[in-house]
Amino acid sequence: MTRRISKYKRFLMMNPIIQFFKFIYLSIKIMIVVAGGHGGTREIN
Amino acid sequence: MSRIVILGAGIAGHVAASHLRRKLPKEHEVVVVSPNSNYQWIPSNIWVGIGRMKPKDILFPLAPLYAKKHIDYKQAKAISFYPEGDAEEVKPYVLAEYVAGANKGTTEKVMYDYLINATGPKLNFEATEGLSPGKNKTHSVCTYTHADEAWNALNDLIQQMKQGKKAKILIGTGHPKATCQGAAFEYILNVEQELRRHKVRDMAQITWISNEYHLGDFGMDGMLMSYGSNIMKSSEMVEMIFEDRGISWILGAGVNKIEDGVAQYETLEGDYKTESYDFAMLIPSFSGHGFKAYNKGGEDITNKLFKGFMIVDADYTPKPYEEWSVQDWPETYQNPSYPNIFAPGIAFAPPHGISKPRQSKNGTDITPAPPRTGMPSGITAKLVADNIIEMIKHSNNELHHKGSMGNMGAACIASAGFGMTKGSGVSITTYPIVPDYNKYPDTQGRKLGKTFGTIGLAGHWLKLALHHAFIYKAKMKPFWWLIPE
Repeated sequence: MTRRISKYKRFLMMNPIIQFFKFIYLSIKIMIVVAGGHGGTREIN
Repeated sequence: MSRIVILGAGIAGHVAASHLRRKLPKEHEVVVVSPNSNYQWIPSNIWVGIGRMKPKDILFPLAPLYAKKHIDYKQAKAISFYPEGDAEEVKPYVLAEYVAGANKGTTEKVMYDYLINATGPKLNFEATEGLSPGKNKTHSVCTYTHADEAWNALNDLIQQMKQGKKAKILIGTGHPKATCQGAAFEYILNVEQELRRHKVRDMAQITWISNEYHLGDFGMDGMLMSYGSNIMKSSEMVEMIFEDRGISWILGAGVNKIEDGVAQYETLEGDYKTESYDFAMLIPSFSGHGFKAYNKGGEDITNKLFKGFMIVDADYTPKPYEEWSVQDWPETYQNPSYPNIFAPGIAFAPPHGISKPRQSKNGTDITPAPPRTGMPSGITAKLVADNIIEMIKHSNNELHHKGSMGNMGAACIASAGFGMTKGSGVSITTYPIVPDYNKYPDTQGRKLGKTFGTIGLAGHWLKLALHHAFIYKAKMKPFWWLIPE
C-alpha cells in the first residue's frame, strides 16, 4: 500500500460538511452534463 | 390503433414502455415481452455483492405495475423474428415462448406495428472455458442472484480470514473482449473497503485483472479529465486509487480458461500465464442472443437484422482505428431494412469499439468491447419511444429525435465503498461518450469541464440518491417523468 492521497486531501474527501456542498454541486453539474441535451453527429449546421 | 411491442424490461425496455404508455392515448397498445418477472436496478448489484443491500432492495415485480399502468406484459422470451409476417400472417410478429405461468412452454406469435428490441446482452459465460457463476470459486455481479451468491462466497472467505487464513482475491474481466470494466472497478473498491470494515484487509491480496491496455480505459479509450484544478488522465486517477488502496493489477490480460481457483490468461506479449485466487469476480463477455429472422417466404434473413446484436443506422464498414469517427455511431437506432424496428440500449450492434484494438503476438484480440451503460440506454430508449410516438401521431416516417453516443454525455458514479460516513465514490462524467477527435483534438476527443472526475464521500451519497431516484422513476410514481434518464 502506497499513500497516494495526502491526509489533508483525505480530510476534504471524507468531511461530511464539505462533502454535503460537493454533493449539491455534483448533482447540478452531472444534471447539466447528462440532461443537457443530445443529438446526432451527421448533419452539419 | 397501433401496437408497440417491446422485447426486454431492463433499463432500456422499461424506459421505452413507460414513456410510450404515458404519452400515447389508450387506444394504442404497449406490450412488454420479457422472461424476467422483476425489474432490477443493475447499477446497485455491486452492493448486493458485498452484502450491504439485499436483492429485494434493488428490484420489484413487473406484473402488478404493468397491470396498473395498462401495459400488457408477457413473461416470455423472444425466439425468432418475422418482420414481414409469414404465409399465414400479414402482420409482422415475434415468436415468443412463455417461461412461467399456465402457458409455460407454449409459443405465441406476438404481432406488432412497431418493435423495440431492448433485449440487452447475453451474458456469454460459455465463451470462457470454466467461467460460470458459483463454480471454480468465480462469481459475477451481473444479476442480483449472481451478486447474492458472490456475497455468500465472499462472506465465507471473510470468516475464514478472521480465523487466520490468507486469501487472494481476483476481480476484473473474464474474457479477452469483455466490457463493463466499470462494474468490476466498483466491486473491487467495495470489496477492499468491506475487508477493512471486517478488519481482515491485511489478510488479503487483491488483484485487478483486465483486458484494458491502460488502467481507467473502461472500454472508452480512457479519458483526459478535469480533476479539481488539474487535468488528469483516467489511467493516472485509477492508478492513484489502486496504489492508495493497495490493489495490484494485471493489464492486457485475455482470460481464456478458469480452473478451480486458477485463472489462465494470455498477455499482449503472447505469454500464457496463470493467477491463483480464493475468490474471483470476473465479468464475462457479452454477446447477442442468437435470434433468427425469417422473411415472408420462410427464408433466413438473420443477417438483415443481426450482426451479433441488432443492426441499426450505424456505419458498419470495416475500417482501421485511425479512420474511426463519431459519425459511424447510430443516431436513431432504427433498423435500415425494417423502419418499424428499433434497438436502443445494449441491443444494437456497435459499428466498432471505442478503445484502440490490440492483438497479442499470437493474434488474439485483447481489447475491451464498447460499454453502453444505464444512462445512454435510458436516453436512447426514450428517443426511440419519442420517434415512434411522432410516427404514430403524424403518420410519417421522419425521425426528429436523435442521440448519438458521439454527442451525448454520461455519468459514471462508481461506488468506492458503502457507508453514510465512511463511504466513498469516484464520480466521473464524460462528454461525449465516443471521443470526437475532430471537435476536441487537444483533449483526446472529449470536452474538458464536462469530462471530469472527483473522489469522495459525496460520490457515495450521489450513487445512493440515484439508486432511490431511479427506482422511484421505474415504479412510475407521481411525476416520475421529471427525473431525467
